[in-house]
Amino acid sequence: MSVIETVSRRAPAGASDPAPWISEDWLSVVIGLFIFMLALAVLANVDLIGWVVTTSVWSNFRQALGTASKLYAPLGGAGALLATFFSLLVILSAAAAALNAGVRRFALAFTAVFWIAYASWVVGSYANFAAVTAADLQKFGISWSLRLTNEGGFIFALLAGLIIANFFPRFAETIKEAIRPELYIKIAIVILGGFFAVTAAGKLNLASSLLLRGVAAIIEAYLIYWAVVYFVARKWFGFNREWAAPLASGISICGVSAAIATGGAIRARPIIPVLVSSLVVVFAVVEVLILPLLAQTFLWQEPLVAAAWIGLAIKTDGAAVAGGGITESLILAKSAAEGVTYQPGWMLGTTATVKVFIDMFIGIWAFILGYIWTNYINVTKDKATAGEIWQRFPKFILGFVVTFLVGLYLALGTPSDVAAKVPAAMSEANTFRVIFFILTFFSIGVLSNFKKLWQEGIGKLAAVYVISLFGFVIWVGLLISWLFFSGVKPPLAS
Amino acid sequence: MSRTDMSSELEKAAGEPLLSIEKKLIAWSLGIGLVLLVLLAAITHFLPPSS
Repeated sequence: MSVIETVSRRAPAGASDPAPWISEDWLSVVIGLFIFMLALAVLANVDLIGWVVTTSVWSNFRQALGTASKLYAPLGGAGALLATFFSLLVILSAAAAALNAGVRRFALAFTAVFWIAYASWVVGSYANFAAVTAADLQKFGISWSLRLTNEGGFIFALLAGLIIANFFPRFAETIKEAIRPELYIKIAIVILGGFFAVTAAGKLNLASSLLLRGVAAIIEAYLIYWAVVYFVARKWFGFNREWAAPLASGISICGVSAAIATGGAIRARPIIPVLVSSLVVVFAVVEVLILPLLAQTFLWQEPLVAAAWIGLAIKTDGAAVAGGGITESLILAKSAAEGVTYQPGWMLGTTATVKVFIDMFIGIWAFILGYIWTNYINVTKDKATAGEIWQRFPKFILGFVVTFLVGLYLALGTPSDVAAKVPAAMSEANTFRVIFFILTFFSIGVLSNFKKLWQEGIGKLAAVYVISLFGFVIWVGLLISWLFFSGVKPPLAS
Repeated sequence: MSRTDMSSELEKAAGEPLLSIEKKLIAWSLGIGLVLLVLLAAITHFLPPSS
């Protein structure tokens, strides 16, 4: 299985395929909001999801797993893990049914996906991989650590996926029904809105300032990146328009969604954005393995520059936002080791905001391209219509905005006894967000069968990607991030 | 179209010259983008970050 076959699910279906009654985008909103609402029950002193499993850095495996809430501590780590698995199995199997996927096939595949992915996370939390400070090393009785923080577990999940994709392709094929990185990351982003609202509520001025600075990301991605990559693809590599436009969108804006939206807008053949998307995922994997470590090494004194850079440089939602989580974890650890303890959540929130801002305009950009193509380049009766703006608007962003606004209201606009419970509620929801990140990383890895992609003959596409990404996008992204975010620091932890 | 055909097509696709509308799209995008970035940089420069 490759990205191509999986991303093909998103390309227009053939006439014989029954269309699902709900899109993956809307499904992510429903599931994300469902988990968010369950978490809010804490405000009424009812803890509905405190049983969700959490993993701590461990040297003794018995202490690795626990529950998000002390109320459910008697359940134990194993009980929490089983409860989490079965709840996600039920919810996501229902989602699979709504998407017209085979429920039994999905359930079996998801069972494998969940246990392998979560096992990778647990391995990544082992003290010799995750412990950071000298005090931590002493606490665990170890003399060395890779200092990846427990969010390094995302990399372990990614590597597990890569191993399966490249060495066990037949097994990858059997679990493909549950390899849905877009669904998982969109659910995570919807939940993240509420978590970020609680973070932002404490420092509204800073949050507003970050939102304004995030506008720079939109300008950069659509107006500067896109134009340069399109020119490079057309002029230097001789791609025709049908290839160059989706390629430019995939490299500049947001990989999979933007390539597919653009392909549809210019009436390209569906296979073209699918092939482009496959490249985006592969390069996102490479970036997420490298960029967070570079950010920690060179940008730890400018954490929000690092966070914005990750959002601008990594071109899929999943890898970018989750990469922001890894970057935050690594930089928080390094800063703490240097005596500066930042409040968590701001870096991840900045990366997510940059990515969400970029995603918001996919529909508008696709409409602009569609208008130009259908009126000036391939003049046909099938004109682009304004309705396509809404059709192509990534709906999961609505979920993010809803949870953000509701979270903000609850944190700032309710009596203090209610507002005081909001962080705990969002913390439980955030545990689910982490699990969806784990599933995303694992899924991205499973999609990245490098040998199969090379056999597809996408060398020329890859060449444009390498030159555009490593010759332009990453460095201009760093420049813009520096220009707009340097000197802006997260608040210190109290 | 099979994937083998697709990869062959990638290698052999004849370059199409840039049309006037494409040149305008590239030029206007870059121009507006740079102007807006300068404006936004100026605005954020005068707005304190307030951490």
